[in-house]
This record gives sequence, C-alpha cells and structure tokens, in this order.
Amino acid sequence: MFKTNFLGLELDNPIIIAAGPWNRDGEGLKRSIAAGAGAVVTESIVSDTLLDVRPRIACDENGAQNIRLYSDIQIEGWEREMSIAKSKGGVVIASVSAHTPSELVYLASKLEKFGADAIEISVSNPMGEGLEVVASNADIVYEMTKEVVAAVKLPVMVKLSQNTTNISKVAKAVKAAGGSCVSAINAVRGILGVDIETAQPTLSTYGGISGEYIRPLGLASVATISQTVDIPICGIGGISSGRHAIEYMMMGASAVQVGTTVMLEGREAVGKIISEMEEWCKSHSIASVEEIRGKALENLKSFDEMKIEPAVSTVKSVPCTENCDKCTVACMYGAIKREADTVVADSNKCSGCGLCTFICPAKKLKLEW
Amino acid sequence: MNIKQIAKAAGVSVATVSRVMNHPENVAPKTRDKILKIMEEEEYKPNWFAQGLNFNKTKTIGLVIPYMLNSMYMEIAKGVEDVAQQKGYITFMCNVEKDTEIEKNYIEQLLTRRVDGIILMFSSLDEKFIKSVEEQDVPVVLIGEDRCAKGFNTVKVDCRAGAEAIVSKLVENGHDSIGILYGNDPEQESLDMLEGYKNVLKNNDVKILDEYIKPVENTIEGGYLGAKKMMAGTPPRAIFTTSDEIAYGVMDAIKDCNFKVPEDIAVAGFGNARMSNLVEPKLTTVELPFHKMGVYGARLLFDLIEAEDKEDAKEKNIKGEPRQIILQSKLKIRKSCGHKERIGEMF
Repeated sequence: MFKTNFLGLELDNPIIIAAGPWNRDGEGLKRSIAAGAGAVVTESIVSDTLLDVRPRIACDENGAQNIRLYSDIQIEGWEREMSIAKSKGGVVIASVSAHTPSELVYLASKLEKFGADAIEISVSNPMGEGLEVVASNADIVYEMTKEVVAAVKLPVMVKLSQNTTNISKVAKAVKAAGGSCVSAINAVRGILGVDIETAQPTLSTYGGISGEYIRPLGLASVATISQTVDIPICGIGGISSGRHAIEYMMMGASAVQVGTTVMLEGREAVGKIISEMEEWCKSHSIASVEEIRGKALENLKSFDEMKIEPAVSTVKSVPCTENCDKCTVACMYGAIKREADTVVADSNKCSGCGLCTFICPAKKLKLEW
Repeated sequence: MNIKQIAKAAGVSVATVSRVMNHPENVAPKTRDKILKIMEEEEYKPNWFAQGLNFNKTKTIGLVIPYMLNSMYMEIAKGVEDVAQQKGYITFMCNVEKDTEIEKNYIEQLLTRRVDGIILMFSSLDEKFIKSVEEQDVPVVLIGEDRCAKGFNTVKVDCRAGAEAIVSKLVENGHDSIGILYGNDPEQESLDMLEGYKNVLKNNDVKILDEYIKPVENTIEGGYLGAKKMMAGTPPRAIFTTSDEIAYGVMDAIKDCNFKVPEDIAVAGFGNARMSNLVEPKLTTVELPFHKMGVYGARLLFDLIEAEDKEDAKEKNIKGEPRQIILQSKLKIRKSCGHKERIGEMF
C-alpha cells in the first residue's frame, strides 16, 4: 500500500534510512535495505577522508549530538562498497559533501558510475565548516546543485539546513538549479548539555542535534517549503514512529528519512514505523499515502484567518481524581481551581490560552464557545 | 610459477588470471578469490615489465615536484601516492629544484621510462612543452597554477580568495597598516595573493606602501630577513606572508627586535603547515587542502589512464575536455593575528 514514486524511483515504501555511520559501508547499507527501508542513503562521502574525533556522538532521552560524521572510505573504495550494497537489490542514494562545485561533480559522477540510484548533496553540516552553514547561502547552493545536475543523469536531492533565516529561498534555489527534490532538515547546530560539576560540555565542541529535539523544527521547515516551492520534499528530523512519519507527510513530505532512531534503536525501528503507518492507514481507510500528503497544510492558518471566537474553558465542575493539579498550577490566569474531587474553571477569568487542554494527562479540559 | 601455470591450477584461462590483475572488478568474486589464493600460495609475482609490453602499461607514474624540502609539496605528494598505491602503481618522484631545465630533463627521462602518466606540481613549463608530452599519449595533470600553460587537466585552489579572506580579517581586527612578504614559489599563486592583498587594502582605504611589499625566498630565512628589512623603518601593524614558513621567520624577527606578536605586530601566514598550531602564539593562517590536491591530481590522472584502456565512448570523452577541480581554502583564526573572539577559532 505504500509504493511510492520518489525522485522518479519506485520505492516499496516512503521510509528511507538517512545518511549516517549505520550506512558507512556496503554491508551496512545492505542490512538497512534488508530491514525494509524503501531506500537507503550512504554516510556522506567526501573528497578526502578526515581523522575522526573521539568521542563524537552523545545522546540523552530526547535525541543526540554528533560532531562531523563523514565516510572514512575514500571514493575509490565506494566502487566496491556500492556493489556490495546493491548485491541484493534495493535503492541506494549516495550522499556527497564537499566545498566546491567541481569536487561535488567529481564525487557524484563517480558514484553514478558505481551504481548509485540518486545523489543527495549534503552541504548543511552544522559543524566544522564555518560559522555560517553553507546551506544558508542560496547562491552557493544554486551553483553546487546546478553543476551536479548538469554532470549526472541521476536525480539530485539537496539536504537543507534549519540553520538559515529563509529555508524557502534555499529550496527555490535548488529548484531553479534543476534539483529533483529537497530533504529537510539536517541536524541543527547545538550543544547537548553541560556537566556542571566539571564545566564540561557534553561533547567537546558544537555539534549537530538530531532526534526528538528537532522534530518541531523539521515539521515547520517542511511546511514552509511545501507552501512556497513546488518541489518534492523528503522530511527528516526526529521520526521514531508511524505517527511522526504521517505528521511529516501531512505537512507535505513525499517521503521521510530516519537516522537517529536507527542509531539508537536499531534498524528494526524501520519495520515498526512502517507497520504503525499501515495500521493507522487501514483504520482510517486510507489506500495510499498520496491521500494524506499535505493534508494538514490547509489547517495552517494566517493570523487573519484564525478563528476569532472567544473560546474559553467551560468546565463547570469536572470530577478529577488524578490529583496532579497540573492545570491549577499552570493556569496563568488563575481560572482553574480544585474543589475536593472536582476541577472547576471560571469562564470569566479564562482567556482561552489553551495550555490546560495540553497539560491535563486525562484530557478533561477543553475550550468551547 | 608463471601466469599459465596459475591459470591451469585454477582451472581458468590465462585471460581470466590477467583480468584479476588488471581489472579485478570484472571478475566474479568467487573466481577472483580462488585465483588470488593460488597466487598467494605460490608467491606469484607478476612481471610488470612484461605486463607493460602486453598492455602498454608500466604501472608507473611520474610526479614532478618543485622543491622537495618544502613540507607543503611533500604533503601533496603523499596525496598522489596514496591513490597511486591503491591502484597498484609506483610513483617516480622527481625534485626539480625550481629549475625549468631540470624539470624538462626529468620529464624526458620519465617518458623514456614509459610512465603511464605525469603529474606536474606548480610547474612553470610552457603550453607547447606540455602539449608535446600529451601528444605522446602520456596524460598530464597539473597541480597548482601554471602561468605559462592553460587548458590542461588541473587541480587548483583559489589562493587569491584565501588571501583576501585573511587580509580582510586583519583589517577587521583594526590593523591600519599591513605589510606583505610574498614568496618566490609557487610563483603564480604568490602573485595572485599579492593581488588579493592589494585589492583588500584598496577597498578598505588602507594605504598601499611600497616599503610594506617585499618579495622573499619562500623559506623561514627569507621571512626573517624580509621582516627585518620591513621593520627597519616604521614597522607595519600587521604582516601577511604567502606561506607559513615565511611567517615563522617573521615571528622570529619580530621577537629579535623586541616586539611582541600580536600586541605590537600581528602576523598571518598561508598554508596551515603542521607547525602553525604549535608555534607560540599559534599562527593565524589559511588552510590549504594539500593532501586533497594530491589525491585529486592522482584521481584525474588515473581517470585519463583508465579511459585509454576502455572502448567505452563515454569514457573516452573524459579525454576530450580538460577537467578542472577547484578546491577551497579555509581561514584558520588563531592568536597571532590579534583576533579576540574565541568563536572565530572554533569553526
């Protein structure tokens, strides 16, 4: 039910395993394909391999931080790795990263020759490449995309960064340059935390934050691109369930990439995401993902269009034995009170901010007009 | 054991054994491994000379280096060799001591030794000479600018842009008089950097003074002597040099004149040699991707050599148009330029 035409390629499903160390060589890619992914993206292949810093990956309950993850296999070695990766079929997208168009062209042409099905240009790495992320500059992205598109016959996808003031401008540059698709978003520059006893940042420098932390940023970026540029989008950022994948699709993504979840939970996570999606679609009588793509966009409103109805909490007296009192504490307008085993909202004091409806674990509160 | 015996032992044809040696990617993995195992057991060593006769390949390339004692050239050479080694090639390295006659002579020698291709590093040979080499069906790749030759397969770095970036940084740091010591090699790159230097000064209304522009030998000694000369009059507030080696000499001279780096005179180099992160204060410089330059030089050369092997028309096209790989330099901000914001050093 999830057959997807993406980048002109027939994918069994729209779940793609993103670039990263789990796809660092042919064997890894083969395993990712075997895990049921619709396509897999190689770890970013660069002109000249760099010495890895150690440690370079950290995580907490909400996501991960990495410092500079590039392939440690030179382009020459990827001929062998690519043939291993594709030995049992599957769609392999080669991720390339470099500083100049001529380097990208060289790498992309080689990977085309080695059998890659598509190219992903990754110029959005948030660390080690300069205070300004390359992908924040639409002109540079245009030049790079244009030259790669001219040099290869493969579809070209460009991975964008949220570290930019106007992601739509960059996506437009990709389209103008002939790119087939954009993927958004790459990890966002950040520092995971600080050990306050030793004053040590979690990792020794700025890194790319991924996972749960960045899903809201990814959703907004995908929505912005969908609303401004007519180009297929591959959603990335904090996808660990079928619901998350559907959220991205409802914001306009044609496919999604999963990276951090695969890193932290293993490749089986992909199967879980797909079956959760299937279940949801079945229960909602949805036959293809096309039916849900962009569906939530129409519900994204401008301030002018938002309802002006003076909705307030109308809960007169709702029995509540949760005893968490989260609503009473969180109500900044002093409108909610507990009276023994009931919660009471004062509709005169309520300003309709809506926080209580989200904070209540039992969802007992709601706004009405 | 010779190739025929290996073929017999493996139960395959001589052609298959030969393919394992020359195009292993075209042999089924199972067969390939079997043949390789027999070769290993029998300690079979292919006769490269005989192979050269058969395939018109000697599995050797020539690498012409301007001056071997310069560590930057050696880093490039390592890049070339890393790729050559992977391809099963031997690299002849020729040190030409920045002398065109020696360079020509070495190339003649390489041709008589039937190398499969030649890489010229920061060459000053003219177009006609290089063309004559290509006409003998020996592919040529240039690493670095050659001011006398255009239209060849080349790997280069935009050094002018790099110089502009670092001189702009010096201006941004508030240095209102900036001198330059530019080296005699690599020739074209040094002149490009001089242009970039003048351009930034002009655009920022900083005076361009003759006494602050000096050509020097591209060595530590050259830098030392040049800086001494420059400081004999009113010293500039900052000195930019076209190589890190020159900058080391400058820092030494500044200390000998009882000045402090960067408080009295700021210094910025070019290249990011290994030592630049170890000198005190650490040297602000422009990182050049030396190893990558070598790697790409070799890649272009082997693409050409391999294209000759193949009938594939598309592959042959590689030979048609000369290819250029342009690499990027990167500003490395450290203490010697008087930069205050630590964040500048992080990225």
